[in-house]
Amino acid sequence: MKDRTGLTLSGAVSRRTLMMGATAGMAALAMPKVLRAQEKPTLVTSIRSLSNPYHAVWKTGAEAYAKWAGLEHVTLVSEGNSEKGIADIKAMLAKTGGNMVLNSDPNDTPDARPIVEACAKAGAYVVTQWNKPADLHPKDFNPNYVSHIEFDGIASGKTIAEILFKTIGGKGGIVALGGLISTTAAIERKKGLDAALAANPDIKLLDFQVANWKSTEAFDLMGNLLTRFGDDIKGIWAANDDMGSGALEALRAENLAGKVPIVGVDGIKTAVDAVRTGEFACTVTSDPFWQGGMGLAIGYNAKIGKFDPVKEPPEHREFYGKAVLISHDNVEEYYKTNVDAKPEIDWNDLWGRVTGAIRT
Amino acid sequence: MTIHTEPLKSVSDIERTTLMTFLPGRIATMFGGRRWRSLAPLAVLVVLCLLIAIANPNFIELRNLVRLANSAAVPLTLAMGLTFIILMGSIDLSVEGTLSVSAMVVVLLAANDSNGNDYGWWAVLAAIVAGTAMGFVSGLVQTMLRIPSFMATLGMWFIGLGLSVYMLGGSAIRLNDASIRELALARFLGLPLAVWVATGAFLLAAVIQYHTKLGRHILAIGGDEDVAKLSGVNVVRVRVTAFALAGFFFGIAGVLAAAQLGQSHAVIGDGRLFAAVTAVVVGGTALTGGEGGVVNTLIGVLIVTVLANGMILLGISPYIQQTVQGLMIIAAVALSLDRVRLRIVK
Repeated sequence: MKDRTGLTLSGAVSRRTLMMGATAGMAALAMPKVLRAQEKPTLVTSIRSLSNPYHAVWKTGAEAYAKWAGLEHVTLVSEGNSEKGIADIKAMLAKTGGNMVLNSDPNDTPDARPIVEACAKAGAYVVTQWNKPADLHPKDFNPNYVSHIEFDGIASGKTIAEILFKTIGGKGGIVALGGLISTTAAIERKKGLDAALAANPDIKLLDFQVANWKSTEAFDLMGNLLTRFGDDIKGIWAANDDMGSGALEALRAENLAGKVPIVGVDGIKTAVDAVRTGEFACTVTSDPFWQGGMGLAIGYNAKIGKFDPVKEPPEHREFYGKAVLISHDNVEEYYKTNVDAKPEIDWNDLWGRVTGAIRT
Repeated sequence: MTIHTEPLKSVSDIERTTLMTFLPGRIATMFGGRRWRSLAPLAVLVVLCLLIAIANPNFIELRNLVRLANSAAVPLTLAMGLTFIILMGSIDLSVEGTLSVSAMVVVLLAANDSNGNDYGWWAVLAAIVAGTAMGFVSGLVQTMLRIPSFMATLGMWFIGLGLSVYMLGGSAIRLNDASIRELALARFLGLPLAVWVATGAFLLAAVIQYHTKLGRHILAIGGDEDVAKLSGVNVVRVRVTAFALAGFFFGIAGVLAAAQLGQSHAVIGDGRLFAAVTAVVVGGTALTGGEGGVVNTLIGVLIVTVLANGMILLGISPYIQQTVQGLMIIAAVALSLDRVRLRIVK
């Protein structure tokens, strides 16, 4: 199970990152106190809620970066209310006089525009993630609108499909559980699955069913699919981990858990645990810890002039981040660094996870 | 199959003879009228099973029948509770909220991956008590504050949901107690224990409806509350008891759902309300109250479950499954209730 060399290596990387962090921290301390008080902007995170694990981890990442950079950090929570989200940001802009860096996951797509406009007007630097209207571009708000980050659903759907196919030996039947039909993520991830299927003619998609992102629906669906296809099902592709875990419980009720591999997206704890026990073949995560910290890092580095947003290439302004794959090979390491402890990320590596410009 | 309660409303012959209602009424009378109608849900179920079995013989495989029973367990237990409320002419929308509270209580008190509790079967008891308490409060709110059950239970739905979100911190918590998980994983005579629990719930509900004063009073209130009151039925007490009873069944369903999924999250109840109401109504229990019963609901649950199973077996595209479900609901209700006798359709 455990990859000893991998673990040692990861330890070394962590120590190096830690030392770099310590050096930067000492450098910051060495600066005159008055200067710091004048120049240091406030870091602001704007997210939807703290009651879902995804945004809770996002906040941890943001706090880790703020601590590393030695900056003040404030978290604003919109509670799913767009107006509250925007009003809170405007209040923060007024309070800091525009001397702030905002990393925002706008509650809804249209929210991004008023947020960006308010920040540009006040002279603050902003990074948005996931949601923005298609006609809103960072380059139109130079230099304040630094970047917009998303994660490529097609790539996620394709990656997990390929790992599933490899796990079942490159041939046989699979069933797929899709998300709510109308959502972008569901459509994109299915496209990824279709692309992987096209490249692997020996894999047969027995059926594609929709379980609306929910484990409960996936549980019932999976039972029915087992009746229809029985032992022909060699693997299960799920558009998110929650549905995958529902399918897993349906398998468990039939003593099939671990015999039919499952793949999913999100990296929720249940799925990570299942990857460890071999019941899931893999899951991918956008890594909210990285999103929370790096969004602030990109904005802050633009603010202090480490780079000029105007001179950055388009794929640094609107880009897909690299999703983190959690599979049998790295799950123990992932568990150790992300579940048991806080992850170590090199906050100076601003563009390390850029996989390309966002498709238009 | 059903108990025959003669409606207290009388309908004049003139109203019967409008063109729209004349034909189906006549056809129904030709085949034996009321009798035929009360058997309609059963007929729908049988025809459905036959059609699916012809199209895909896998349907009547023993393994599939076991799976059917297993996926009917939670909806059946829920619908048992809901039947009593609908029989009274009320509605209980708190199904999802109560279920998630009960699932939350059982997971947080039994061995789990979030805190150190390990109260075993006491957790199950606590969960059922929590469900019953939620129902009891719904009943009190309805009768004491005189708030219609629709609004009272809508409120309880969100109170329950909010409570679960808060207690679970928005995440999914795993149920690690092996003996509780046995409810879903262990089998007795080839059937998962959850199916036996649901069967027990059905028998209990049947006894309450057909052999207790409470059951008769619930029917009487649904038939005509004023008449029931004048006949000496303590309406407030019956209503509160019925809501608590519904909460009791929802509590059991919550435990079963948590055991089946091996985890609990706030949205564990999502979609259950619609499924439960559909099952009750398709089974032939009138939303106006006073007509139908738990046996109807059993058939209704089976129709809904068989239909969901059948659509997968027949390979019907997920994009049109909901449409088929909607058509089935309208068809089943149209067949099972004597529309001719309805004076007003709201």
